[in-house]
Amino acid sequence: MNLAIKDIRYSLGRFLLTAAGVGFLITASIGMVGLYRGIVADALLLIEQIGADLWVVQGGHSGPFSESSAISTDMDRRVAGVVGVAAVRRFTQTSQQVSFNDRSVRATITAIDFPSDTGDWINLTAGRHLRNGHYEVIANDNLSLALGTSITVGRDQYHVVGLTSGMVDMGGDGLMFMSVNDVITIMKRRTNEEILLARKSDLASGLATGNSDSNGGSVDGALDNQKIAAVLVTLSPAADEQAVREALLAWGDVNVMSGQDQKDLLLNQRLLRLRIQILAFTGVLLVVMAIVISLIIYMLTIEKLHQIAMLKLIGARNSVVINMIVQQAFLIGAGGFAFGIGLARLIFPHFPRRVVMDLHDLGLLAMTVAIICAFASLMGISRALNVRAQEVLS
Amino acid sequence: MTATPVLSIRNASRHYQSGDSIVKALDDVSMDIMPGEVVGILGPSGSGKSTLLLIAGLLEPPTLGEVYIGGKRVSYPDAMLEGLRSFRRHNIGFVFQKANLIPFLTALENVALALEIDDVSPRDARDYARWLLGSLDLAHRRDNLPKQLSGGEQQRVAVARALANDPRLILADEPTAALDGERGKQVIRLFRQIATEADAGVAVVTHDPRVLSLFDRSYELRDGRIVKGHHPRQEST
Ligand SMILES: Nc1ncnc2c1ncn2[C@@H]1O[C@H](COP(=O)(O)OP(=O)(O)OP(=O)(O)O)[C@@H](O)[C@H]1O
Ligand SMILES: [Mg+2]
Repeated sequence: MNLAIKDIRYSLGRFLLTAAGVGFLITASIGMVGLYRGIVADALLLIEQIGADLWVVQGGHSGPFSESSAISTDMDRRVAGVVGVAAVRRFTQTSQQVSFNDRSVRATITAIDFPSDTGDWINLTAGRHLRNGHYEVIANDNLSLALGTSITVGRDQYHVVGLTSGMVDMGGDGLMFMSVNDVITIMKRRTNEEILLARKSDLASGLATGNSDSNGGSVDGALDNQKIAAVLVTLSPAADEQAVREALLAWGDVNVMSGQDQKDLLLNQRLLRLRIQILAFTGVLLVVMAIVISLIIYMLTIEKLHQIAMLKLIGARNSVVINMIVQQAFLIGAGGFAFGIGLARLIFPHFPRRVVMDLHDLGLLAMTVAIICAFASLMGISRALNVRAQEVLS
Repeated sequence: MTATPVLSIRNASRHYQSGDSIVKALDDVSMDIMPGEVVGILGPSGSGKSTLLLIAGLLEPPTLGEVYIGGKRVSYPDAMLEGLRSFRRHNIGFVFQKANLIPFLTALENVALALEIDDVSPRDARDYARWLLGSLDLAHRRDNLPKQLSGGEQQRVAVARALANDPRLILADEPTAALDGERGKQVIRLFRQIATEADAGVAVVTHDPRVLSLFDRSYELRDGRIVKGHHPRQEST
């Protein structure tokens, strides 16, 4: 007969509570690791999907994700002239408040170089890709915009023509795709407003921000050197990537990076501290879990010392006692793990940021829990083996 | 007929260190229990009765002296007791004042466990445990947990557990203390029945004057020494 299971069935409620307690800790660990994986996945998604062979960015900088990058809006024409370049696209991103139906959300506006690019690399969940050069957007679903909604960005009205899913920036803001010319217009107007504001603040602080219409034209002319962030290069099949790189770098005013370079930079620079932080937190959680599980197993053993002494008295081998303790430890671990995963699956989809449950991570976590259970058993066993049979009498 | 004693204790002493002084819990005690005998061990509190049972049951080594079970010397001063566990499993059954049943096992499982740890197959163990409980009038209680049993019923389950491996020596320390007079007598009669049927030897420590008449013989201890042996019933087997 299996003593561990008999005991658990006898005090089922307590076992379930214990397993649930351990399960919550496991859920928290899954969440911690999953949050990190989610942030990485979100950060890399755009770079992966946009599918550029090379990124031409501001010279001396490693933009546009891990630092800023500004190049002139006609850089694409220069890059297109390089031998081996099959296609170029202009790329820029800007954070912008978007209003609709008296509501306003923050979106990361991302440029699509229409008409050479219609955004067909974006996976749509509804609607269509861009068909016109102006006033159309594809919005990520976490912006809660319905298809066909009319939204105000800056001073213009845009229509939501397509919806996508899972496209967010590193901070979790939903991406909103629109033609590069629209983005440049929005950015230009914003820059002008900022300059205007800076000028006016010298005179009076009470001026409203929105009504700079009348002055818009005059400043526009003064500041026409608008910038974009990068030019995306698609190489022709026969091209030598190294040669293209060298040709571009020879200009002296640009830097060239591959998609992989961009990803490495994000992971090892922008996200490095976050990674270490989350790893450290996960470590703390695992230590807490180790202590809690060990204590539980130890207490369960202490509680049964009298019965363990009785088992010894009637001549039970140590293996009978050891099996009972080890099996109980692992049942608590396994029960907690199952509970933890179940809970994680239930609640994490409703979290505001993506929580990625990676099979490999779960495997590692299961192994860690197993090691903790083994360690906890050892503590219980060493106590149990020290019990003398005659303690039954006390 | 000169049968081999089931239990033979020769000049056994047990000393405990207690602070600076030495307590002689047992002082040069010799006794024999023959097959089929039910022997009482009497004496005031602290006289060494429990200590005697611990030494006879191979739970404590004697400081001096020897213990023989079935004619075989099993106890040496300061011997390793752990190695004697399997000997205990096969040869000695214990009953105490408290039943000490495993609370999460039913009556049947408590008895069957004693067999399973002796490598009896689970099915045979249950069959034999069922038969044992039946013979102790507990057939209707076998699927109850200890907390659902009365004190007397628990004690009878404990007796069934002690009997499960057909031990030739049964050691009982105040098995009737928690029971009323009639129940107490019933337990001793049970021991007598087992002693007679299985040719086992039974040693019962008791304070209970009501059961004295049920013993074949009894020893009285005082300050760790045997002061006299009663022989209320002159007969054997
Ligand atoms: N582990 C021990 N350490 C020190 N002294 C002990 C120990 N065990 C027993 N003693 C002492 O040995 C003496 C005999 O104890 P024992 O338990 O055998 O008495 P007893 O006859 O069973 O008494 P009771 O009827 O109260 O159960 C007592 O004085 C007791 O204090
Ligand atoms: Mg005693």
